[in-house]
Amino acid sequence: MVGVSFGEQQFIKGGIAQDLRTDGRKRLTYRDIYVETGVIPQANGSARVRIGGTDVIASVKAEIGRPSSLQPDKGKVAVFIDCSPTAEPTFGGRGGEELSSELALALQICLLGGKSGAGAGINLSSLLIKEGRVCWDLYIDGLVISSDGNLLDALGAAIKAALTNTAIPKVQVSAEVADDEQPEIDISDEEYQQFDTSSVPVIVTLTKVGNHYIVDATAEEESQMSSAVSISVNRGGHICGLTKRGGCGLDPSVILDMISVAKHVSETLMNNLDSKISAAEACEDDES
Amino acid sequence: MMMKKIQLPFTQTQKVRYERAIERLQSLSSTVNSDASVIVTDTIPVNHEDAFLKGHGTSEVDGELLATVCGVVERVDKLVYVRTLRARYKPEVGDIVVGRVIEVAQKRWRVELNFTQDGVLMLSSMNMPDGSQRRRTSVDELNMRNIFVEHDVVCAEVRSIQHDGSLQLHARSQKYGKLEKGQLLKVDPYLVKRSKHHFHYIESLGIDLIIGCNGFIWVGEHVEVRDPVMMIDDQKDAEMISSSSTTKEQSHTPLETRQNICRIGNAIRVLSNLGFTVTVEVITETLNLSISKNIDIHNMLGSEFHVVVAENEAERRREKRKK
Repeated sequence: MVGVSFGEQQFIKGGIAQDLRTDGRKRLTYRDIYVETGVIPQANGSARVRIGGTDVIASVKAEIGRPSSLQPDKGKVAVFIDCSPTAEPTFGGRGGEELSSELALALQICLLGGKSGAGAGINLSSLLIKEGRVCWDLYIDGLVISSDGNLLDALGAAIKAALTNTAIPKVQVSAEVADDEQPEIDISDEEYQQFDTSSVPVIVTLTKVGNHYIVDATAEEESQMSSAVSISVNRGGHICGLTKRGGCGLDPSVILDMISVAKHVSETLMNNLDSKISAAEACEDDES
Repeated sequence: MMMKKIQLPFTQTQKVRYERAIERLQSLSSTVNSDASVIVTDTIPVNHEDAFLKGHGTSEVDGELLATVCGVVERVDKLVYVRTLRARYKPEVGDIVVGRVIEVAQKRWRVELNFTQDGVLMLSSMNMPDGSQRRRTSVDELNMRNIFVEHDVVCAEVRSIQHDGSLQLHARSQKYGKLEKGQLLKVDPYLVKRSKHHFHYIESLGIDLIIGCNGFIWVGEHVEVRDPVMMIDDQKDAEMISSSSTTKEQSHTPLETRQNICRIGNAIRVLSNLGFTVTVEVITETLNLSISKNIDIHNMLGSEFHVVVAENEAERRREKRKK
């Protein structure tokens, strides 16, 4: 992360105040988003999303597992993020761990809802094979290749695309067994079911610089932020998760205002992302 | 001519147009020395009876002189070397460079220049704020931070190259110094060719454009070059104002200048993506192209405008060739 001089900082802040950022965008305009799906053939689903200089890859792997005893009727999903040192030299070794765990936690909150599983963006019941015994465990991995701000939005979009690309094999429970034993299962090689992603939310991060909020901040703009609020909104306009970072405190009215702005922005973003994901899927089908 | 692979998604028609423009450009480029360009493991034709010196990018294998890099063979007297096409910034004395201060050290500033080593700007190579010519005292050394702090963008000239390869800079004229009120852009150094003028003041837009030979380009609001004696009084006034009010809102750039700065910035980004040489003429032409086609400043970074610029550049070079 290169530092910016005082003069440049004034320029960036002045631009945001005048609704004309350094690359000509308005405050609520996203950079161009490029989506590619199926980039990792060995995974059940994968996607690569580029927003400006930020480049992330998400992959979904499904494995057979046992549902937890607290929620025997639901499958399990785990999110891990890795910030690669190619993105920033400071991410090498242990440097990227803090950011990785922060991003993973924010994504977990946004996608999976609360502890009871209420309000989850992913329908965990669809991952169940046999209640209390066998279920699918989804491991969602995100890799940050290049970082130019707005990592959370990019990862959220990549996970959404990867889930749309995910094909989980159909499973037949072949034999009934006694309660203590694991049932035998037959995993089909040919038949797959697509994951239902209509309720997966998108994440919109609003960065507050001075008195204004901007959407999709570059790394330079993020260095000037006072605070940032990431809100995940689903297709129904409902808020699935909320994370705030940054040192400055925010007045509650500001947060409510940010939420309404995020809801407004998320509509266009959701439509844009959905069309790009379906275009990417169609492109992949053509190639394969 | 090497073309960077662009990371933008083109539609089918855009891809066709882009490739056609690139083909035209390649056919227009001078192929005078095509026999002098080599790739790795090509044999360099050399007369073994004459004594010759093996320079960079060559290596002797089995009695043959092979190229170890891709580039053009250059011969200077007895020296035979291969000059790469895409290389790091190669400094020469007298180059105008733009850099960022990374460290304030004893009697000097270390400046990052997109080069293998940092440049050094000595305190004695810098004009004093009050304009006097005198020996720098320890008080001056303690007040170095009043001149440049870390992360400041400065414009300087290469004074000399040390034996270990590091650069000595100096900023002894009024046009050099701290750059504020603008943005710094980074392009590949080989896209900037040395020319007579690197400081450009575009009057119609009120913008300063400094094209550093190291690939750093500064686009900013025009700043009048001021007399150092007058600057002391202004500085004192400024201190009084800033101490009484904490915000400096009055020094906001006007919207129209800001739009022009953003347009020029995006024009430079587009040219850098396409791998075209960055000169003032090309920049202003790209700028006028974007204005005449009524393209939104933000859309200048989209695939359509990239294709349009490539086509326009092919046209321009063809016209130049005809003349």
